[in-house]
Amino acid sequence: MNDKQNKVKRRDFFRDSLRTLLALALGGSAGIATRKLIAKDLVWQLDPHKCVQCDLCATECVLDLSAVKCVHAHDMCGHCTLCGGFHRPDAVTFDTAAENQLCPTGAIKRNFIENPYYSYTIVEEKCIGCAKCVKGCSSFGNGSLYMQVRHDRCLNCNECAIAIACPAEAFQRVPSSQPYILKGKQAQA
Amino acid sequence: MKTMSDSIAVKLSASVSSVIALVCLTWWLSYNPTARLATHIPGMDNRPTESEASKLRAAEADQVRIGEFLETYASTQPPALRGEWPRFRGSKFNNISTEPVRLASTWSEQGPKQLWSVALGEGHAAPAVADGRVYVLDYDEQNKGDALRCFSLADGSELWRRWYRVRVKRNHGYSRTIPAVADGYVVTIGPRCHVMCVDVESAELKWGIDLEKELGTETPLWYTGQCPLIDDSIAVIASGGNALLLGVELATGTIAWQTPNPKGYQMSHSSVMPATLFGKRMYIYCAKGGIVGVSAEEVDRGELLWESPLWNPSVMAPSPVILPDGRIFVTGGYGAGSALLQVTEKNGGYAVDELMKYKPDGGMASEQQTPIFYQNHFFAILPKDAGVLRKQLVCYASDDITTPVWTSGTTNRFGLGPYLIADGKMFVLDDDGVLTMLEVSTTAFKPLAQAKVMDGTDAWGPMALAGGRLLLRDAHKMICLDISAPSS
Repeated sequence: MNDKQNKVKRRDFFRDSLRTLLALALGGSAGIATRKLIAKDLVWQLDPHKCVQCDLCATECVLDLSAVKCVHAHDMCGHCTLCGGFHRPDAVTFDTAAENQLCPTGAIKRNFIENPYYSYTIVEEKCIGCAKCVKGCSSFGNGSLYMQVRHDRCLNCNECAIAIACPAEAFQRVPSSQPYILKGKQAQA
Repeated sequence: MKTMSDSIAVKLSASVSSVIALVCLTWWLSYNPTARLATHIPGMDNRPTESEASKLRAAEADQVRIGEFLETYASTQPPALRGEWPRFRGSKFNNISTEPVRLASTWSEQGPKQLWSVALGEGHAAPAVADGRVYVLDYDEQNKGDALRCFSLADGSELWRRWYRVRVKRNHGYSRTIPAVADGYVVTIGPRCHVMCVDVESAELKWGIDLEKELGTETPLWYTGQCPLIDDSIAVIASGGNALLLGVELATGTIAWQTPNPKGYQMSHSSVMPATLFGKRMYIYCAKGGIVGVSAEEVDRGELLWESPLWNPSVMAPSPVILPDGRIFVTGGYGAGSALLQVTEKNGGYAVDELMKYKPDGGMASEQQTPIFYQNHFFAILPKDAGVLRKQLVCYASDDITTPVWTSGTTNRFGLGPYLIADGKMFVLDDDGVLTMLEVSTTAFKPLAQAKVMDGTDAWGPMALAGGRLLLRDAHKMICLDISAPSS
C-alpha cells in the first residue's frame, strides 16, 4: 500500500524533468549572455618597451602596407634641430634634404617652431613600419618615436604573422577597449 | 588573286595599327614615371633664412653684458680644504686623481655619506674645485642668465655668484660646461658662447668675450659643450668662426694669438687637450671640420702644426685621448663610431694617418664622456648603438681596441653618465644616480660597492674629486659625498 502511495507518477516525473531542463536552459542562456557581456574582445598590439626595431613589422604583415606604424609622443620629444629619428647619422646638414633624412619614404614632416625647436609629425599614409626612425630616436634621443599596431588597418588575424616573426616577443593581445600601449603623458592618463 | 576588299582591309588595318602605334608613342613620350614622387629639399621645414636668423642673434647679443651682476652671500673665506679638481678632466687632463687620499673600499647600504647638496638650474654643467671653493657655471632659470656660482667645499654654502642675462631656451637642459681655475682666475664659457674671466676670491670681473659677436662663432647644437683651458696664464678657446683657436691673456683679456681658420672649421662639443708629441707641446682639438694640432710653445704659439679631415663627425662631444706614441683615439656619438689616428713627424712637419675606423659596435666607443686611458688600457661606457655591449662599462688594451679585455655584463649597464679613477678605484655614475665603485683592473670587472645616491635623471655632468670629496650632479641638483677611508 505504502509502496503504491510512494510511487512517483509518470506524469509528475515528466513534469519535474521538464521544469528542471527548462531551468537549466534558462540558467545556461543567462550565463552565456552574461559571459558575452563581460568578456572583452582582444586585439593585437606591440609593447614599445620590448620592441627592438628589427624592421620585420614592415615585411611580415599580411597587408601590402603594414598595419604597424610609427607614432609620436610629442610631450617626450626634445624638438631638437638635429633629430636622431629624422636625420641620418652621417647627415652633413640638418635640414629637410632627402639625402639627410633617415625615413626611406619621407614619412616624417619637420616644421620650425622657434629657434632651436622643430616639431616632427608622422605622415601615416607614407609610413611603412620599418622602424628606422624609432631606432634612431631610441639610440640618440628621448625615445618619443615608437611603433604601434594601427587598428584602423589591422585585420586582427587569429595568428598574427608579425607576432610569430617578432624576435623580441613584443606582440601581445590586449583588450579592444584599450587597444594601444602608449608612451609619454598619454600612457599615464 | 587578291580581291578589292582584301586590299581595303589591309590598308585599313595598317592605318589603324599606325594610329595605335602613334598614340602609344605619344603616351610613352609624355608619361613621366616620377610625377608622383614628392621632392624633399632643404627649407621644407619653414625655418628662417640665415639672414633673418643672424639679425635675431645680433639683436640678442646686443642685450648681453657679460658679468654684469655680482651677488655676495658670505663675508668670510671658506676653509681651505685640501685637494683640487681645477678643470675638465682634473689636474692632469685624464680624469685620474693622483691625490694621496685613501678612499673607502666598502660602503654601507645607504652609500657614502652625503655632506651637502645644492639645487642647480637644469643642465649638465659640472664643478671645478680649488682652495676649498667649488665653481659651477649654472643657468639661473628664474633670472634667465648664466651664473658663475662659488660654493664652499666644506658645507656647500654659496659664497657669491657673478651673472649676466642671456636668453637660452631649454634644450636637453641649459648648462653644459666646466670652469677652468688657475693663477687666481676662473674662466667660463656659457651656453651661447660667452667667455668670462673673474677673480677666484673676490669675483671681480676681469673680462668677457662674446664669441658669436666678436669672432663669428656658430653656437653648436644643444649649446656650447667646450670647457675652457688655461695654459701658462692664457685662456685657450677653440672658437671656430674667424679663428680656429685663440689665446687670451688672463690678466688683461687681450687676445695674444689667433690661429687662422681658412677652412671655416666650427666649434664642436669637444674640448682642447694639451699634449706633448715628439717633444713639441701642442693643443689638440676635434673641430667640426677636422682634427687639428696647434703649437703651445712660446716661440710659435698658435701656429697650426697639422690638420686632418680624417675625423669629422657631425656631432662630437668626447675629447681626443692622446697616447704617448703619437696615436690619438677619437670617438663620437650619433653613429659616428671611433677612429685611431697616428701622428708622425716627417721632414720637419707632421703627417696624420688613419690606423683604423669603425662603427660604434666595432670596438671602443663613447657618446658623451671622454674615455680614460690608464695602465695602457682604455676604460669607457659604450653608447646605446653599440649592439650587444651597449651601455656596458668596458676595458680595452691599447694595442687592440676592437676586442674587449672585459665588459661589465648584461646585468651591469650604465648610460651616458661620468666616470673617474682615484686610489686604484673607478667610480661610475649611471643616468639615474646610481654610483658604482669598482677596483680598477685590466683583467676583469671587479665591482666593490653600489648605491643610489641621487633620485634624479640625466646625471651626465662629469664628476670632480678633491680631498676625498666627490662632487656629482643630476639634471637639477649637485651633491657632495665623503668617499674617503674612515681613518683618513
